Amino acid sequence: MTNIVEARSLVKRYGDFTALAGVDLSIPSGSISGLIGPNGAGKTTTMKALTGLCDVEGELEVAGRDPRSARHKLMEEVCFIADVGILPKWLKVAQVLEFVSAVHPKFVRERAEKFLSTTEIPSNKRIKDLSKGMVTQLHLAIVMAIDVRLLVLDEPTLGLDIIYRKEFYDRLLNEYYDGDCTIIISTHQVEEIETLLSHLVFIKNGRITLDSSMNNLADRYFEVVVDPDKLTAADTLEPIYTRELLGKKSYMFEDVPRQQLEPLGEVLTPTVADLFVAKMKEDHHGG
Amino acid sequence: MVVNQFGQFGALLKREIIENRNLFISTPALLAVIFFVFSIWVVSFVPSAEIAAGIEYLSLLFDGLSPLQMAPAFLLPAVPFIVTLYICAIIYLINSLYQDRKDASVLFWQSMPVSNLQTVLSKVVTICAIAPVFYVAILFVLYLLAVAMLVALGLTYNVQVAGLGYMFMASVLSLLLIYLSAITTALWLLPSIGWLLLFSAFARKTPILWAVGVFILLGFLEDFVFGSQYLANWVESRSNPQQYMFFEFTDVVERLFSYDMLFGVVVGSILISGAISMRRFID
Repeated sequence: MTNIVEARSLVKRYGDFTALAGVDLSIPSGSISGLIGPNGAGKTTTMKALTGLCDVEGELEVAGRDPRSARHKLMEEVCFIADVGILPKWLKVAQVLEFVSAVHPKFVRERAEKFLSTTEIPSNKRIKDLSKGMVTQLHLAIVMAIDVRLLVLDEPTLGLDIIYRKEFYDRLLNEYYDGDCTIIISTHQVEEIETLLSHLVFIKNGRITLDSSMNNLADRYFEVVVDPDKLTAADTLEPIYTRELLGKKSYMFEDVPRQQLEPLGEVLTPTVADLFVAKMKEDHHGG
Repeated sequence: MVVNQFGQFGALLKREIIENRNLFISTPALLAVIFFVFSIWVVSFVPSAEIAAGIEYLSLLFDGLSPLQMAPAFLLPAVPFIVTLYICAIIYLINSLYQDRKDASVLFWQSMPVSNLQTVLSKVVTICAIAPVFYVAILFVLYLLAVAMLVALGLTYNVQVAGLGYMFMASVLSLLLIYLSAITTALWLLPSIGWLLLFSAFARKTPILWAVGVFILLGFLEDFVFGSQYLANWVESRSNPQQYMFFEFTDVVERLFSYDMLFGVVVGSILISGAISMRRFID
């Protein structure tokens, strides 16, 4: 499988603050990839770098182009939703569609209008008069009417209620994703997207701490509810994270064979949310 | 979907007009309404005999003159509109590459396959050639109403309103002169346009303070380091409002094809290129 995104040693500094401290990233074509990290981890900076919206040091190629020198050409192949607030508030819904159809060669206006006809968004209203959920729906309608190779979604459902959030991902998956295009979603709400993903990337303090396909995760990470008399043996295998669970100790292991862990207690496959917490707290546990 | 560069550029110009409709349409329209209502209000206080005499005087004043000879007289009522256009132009330019960064909609605009060159050029074309069209169109309606009012008054007071057709033609010619003046002046002031765009693209806050502050600082530095005032003198030499108004079409041509103009266009283009580069990365 080829990669649609290849990034090596991306560095971005804002004054004294280092937003990206050497990001290495490979996103396979056709995947639905999640870029997960806590607030301030570098998600938005990474997304902006991928779409040519901020300058970064390092090697970067997206859909065969360098976003830093060919942003507007790249945007024929890439769609980007930053968050719900970015559509210009003074435009009317119909004017947004008119503008996009005039400037984007791959926009099919009829498709966007068909999508909008299933919503309650009036075409003669200005964006500023729409609710946050409606603005997201409108942006999704625009994006879904453009045939691109890569869709970049940076916290697309931030500030939305659960109904809009669920509908957003349902429609994206059922009506847009066809296996040919690639979708990268950044969020700090792991549980919301974990079932959609085929590829997972964790970012923390401007560094990638995990970059793996979802299939590989089950072979690499195990959570063990350790029997009380096996705690010392479990510690020697260098867990990346430990926690108390209903009076029992639970250990998270990375790249330790399952056969080695089974004698220690009950071996479980961790959820993405558990893995996220473990990786984010990894430094504190000597892993 | 077939998209060509002209279609893209047209959409960018339309965007500018919609976004800045208050500066380009509402403001001159309001000014025209105030002007017209004020004129009627003033006329309502003037005795009938004086109105009749005034219309006759106007007819005599223009008697025997061609529309081209009359045209400069119609520039006077346009002065408030021209001043308003320049004030609105400054507001427009200083916000044009700043406002979308401030409200984050730049992320939407930059997610479209439109180059920064096209974006910035659309702003230059808008202020140089599109905005004056609206001001001139509104002045045209105002002149049309004024001539209609003169005819109505003439008929009411049974006064011979000779040469009104010529007067109307003269007013239209004056509008053409105003439009050409606006474009010529915009090119003359291209360094100022480039300077404002540069700081509109650069500043994180209060771009007007940056634009003015850096200019003053540069002037002081030049004076302090070299003991000269070339910068201030050059700007002053291009800032006389009399340079912005042309009473003859030949003056327009003379200004357009001057070395001074060429130099200004070169300096303006360099500053506009800086704004395009600055726009490249929004953070």
